[in-house]
Amino acid sequence: MRINDRVFGMLMLVLAVAYGWEATQFPIPFGGQESVGPETFPILLSVILAISSVYMMVKPDQDEKWSPLPMLIELLVVVLSILLFAWAIEPIGFIPAATFVVCFLSWRMGASFVRSLTTGVITSLVIFFLFNNVLELALPLGLLEL
Amino acid sequence: METMSLLMHGFAVALTPESIMFAIIGAILGTLIGALPGLGPANGVAILIPLAFSLGLSPTSSLILLTSVYAGAMYGGRISSILLNIPGDEPAMMTCLDGYPMALKGKAAEALAISAIASFIGSFIATIGLVILAPILSKFALKFGPAEYFALFALAFATLGGVTGKNQFKTVMAASIGLMISTVGIDISTGVQRYTFNTLELFEGVDFIIAIVGLFAISELFFFLERHAGDGLKQVAINKLKLTARDVLHVLPTSIRGGILGFVAGVLPGAGASLGSFISYSLEKKVSDKGEFGTGDPRGVAAPEAGNNGAASGALVPMLTLGVPGSGTTAVLLAMLISLNISPGPMLFTHNPDLVWGVIAAMFVGNLVLLLLNIPMVGIFVKLLSVPPKYLMPVVTLIASVGIYSVSHSPTDLYFMVAFGVMGYVLRKVGIPLVPVILGLLLGPEMEKSLRHTLVLSDGDWSALFSSGLSIGLWSVAVLGLVLPLILGPVIRAKMRKSKDAVKDV
Repeated sequence: MRINDRVFGMLMLVLAVAYGWEATQFPIPFGGQESVGPETFPILLSVILAISSVYMMVKPDQDEKWSPLPMLIELLVVVLSILLFAWAIEPIGFIPAATFVVCFLSWRMGASFVRSLTTGVITSLVIFFLFNNVLELALPLGLLEL
Repeated sequence: METMSLLMHGFAVALTPESIMFAIIGAILGTLIGALPGLGPANGVAILIPLAFSLGLSPTSSLILLTSVYAGAMYGGRISSILLNIPGDEPAMMTCLDGYPMALKGKAAEALAISAIASFIGSFIATIGLVILAPILSKFALKFGPAEYFALFALAFATLGGVTGKNQFKTVMAASIGLMISTVGIDISTGVQRYTFNTLELFEGVDFIIAIVGLFAISELFFFLERHAGDGLKQVAINKLKLTARDVLHVLPTSIRGGILGFVAGVLPGAGASLGSFISYSLEKKVSDKGEFGTGDPRGVAAPEAGNNGAASGALVPMLTLGVPGSGTTAVLLAMLISLNISPGPMLFTHNPDLVWGVIAAMFVGNLVLLLLNIPMVGIFVKLLSVPPKYLMPVVTLIASVGIYSVSHSPTDLYFMVAFGVMGYVLRKVGIPLVPVILGLLLGPEMEKSLRHTLVLSDGDWSALFSSGLSIGLWSVAVLGLVLPLILGPVIRAKMRKSKDAVKDV
């Protein structure tokens, strides 16, 4: 199959056109139009990207296999877990958030639940104390701040 | 003589207790990073940048720390080549050829020791080369005008795929994606907003450190998950070291030859460490092989190791003097410099002599530290190598995220990091290399500036880009860099594969 490169080339071509078109819409800078403005370089780039994406569609490489759907869903869940961690650092606190994300990730990578929980608790505590006390970079305590 | 006194001055900087401490920490971290499969040198340095940054280290200390990490990672890469027959990164591939057979014969400790010595010699020679060549090149680079710089940037992208590159158009595509990301934000010279969609977070543009960590480290995590590689791999047991002075003398000429060749390959655009180790190994095989190569000859371990460490130091020459990196890791080091507000390039040697010479001297110190660390302590690194990735990768991910978070204490940066991770995963799936993307992000602003200067000076005449002999020369090398791999690439890659297959049959 050589579908990957064709689809990706198509997407990049759309990006190149949109990007180039957007560049022509930039407001004229204060001080009037010059021979080279904020749009010159972007337009040049969009042309280069367009040429290479057309080439990619015309002469695609052999596909690398995509994972089956369950794996892609799993990856999506992993992405969400990291996003959740990022969101939770401030309201919930670094230690619980980090324990959760490390535990979840190592569990998904095949560690047993008890072991991944241990890894999570230990690393989040160590990193918290390392950052707050040794490196003096404050990480939020969140709910634990009582 | 002037160079000598500057270098001595550099040693004065590098031998302060603080610098030595950072060199040691960097060397240890670097060896670990290099040894862990899946965490290449570029990854490791990228993860450490935000940390160095948020700790508020001085530019000299940060750079000493990170160059030692870089050098250490090159040492560490060989450990997994020898014990697991899996190269930590591409340049370490040639070390598998004789390193793994040696380990199978129960000489793992000797292979590790010899490769450490060869690495030391390779780096040492290349650092001397750097001392000699860098000032000359930076004087020469003062002749460059904006048009020449623009051509030079184009050359950097064109040759980045290297002689062994597969699809040149994908390199070009990757570079333009990176350059495009770099145009996001408020345009410096006119104040016009570009591609910000009126989002406050985008006004200052995309922080390339976040992009680097996302593209390299986070996408690596996804690949680990996908491959179910959480359990790690079986490694050959390590024996007690029996190394005599004669063994060392036996590989000495090999290492010296390898180091010189590697240095040359590292300095040249588009060659890089992979080619450095490949050339050194092939030449050594031609010169001294009597049928023992590929079956565990110590010289077959020494040659590629000296070659790739030589190339790694050699690659610093264009990075420091021209501001144009030739490899992923040097690109990441460049990111470090830019984020510390130091513009690399010819002026670096005149404006920040303390920094440059301090770093060069620190490379000598760091290498010595690495050699001393690596022979007695190799056992410890090997133990750490056996920590399965299923515990290690989550921890690394956490450290990377904390580093990013601590720079500006904003969760938005982490969202961007994850987004770049997903992007890196998709790009790698369609075979688009990530290094040009990073390089585009880094060099974008400078490249645009030089294009603008050229066009303003010539009043919009594009032919000004090709007006001087020097810029025409640079453009022709750039074109060669794009075209040559189409012809030579398949041949060299086939050769590299053939020598690798030959070993597997043993």
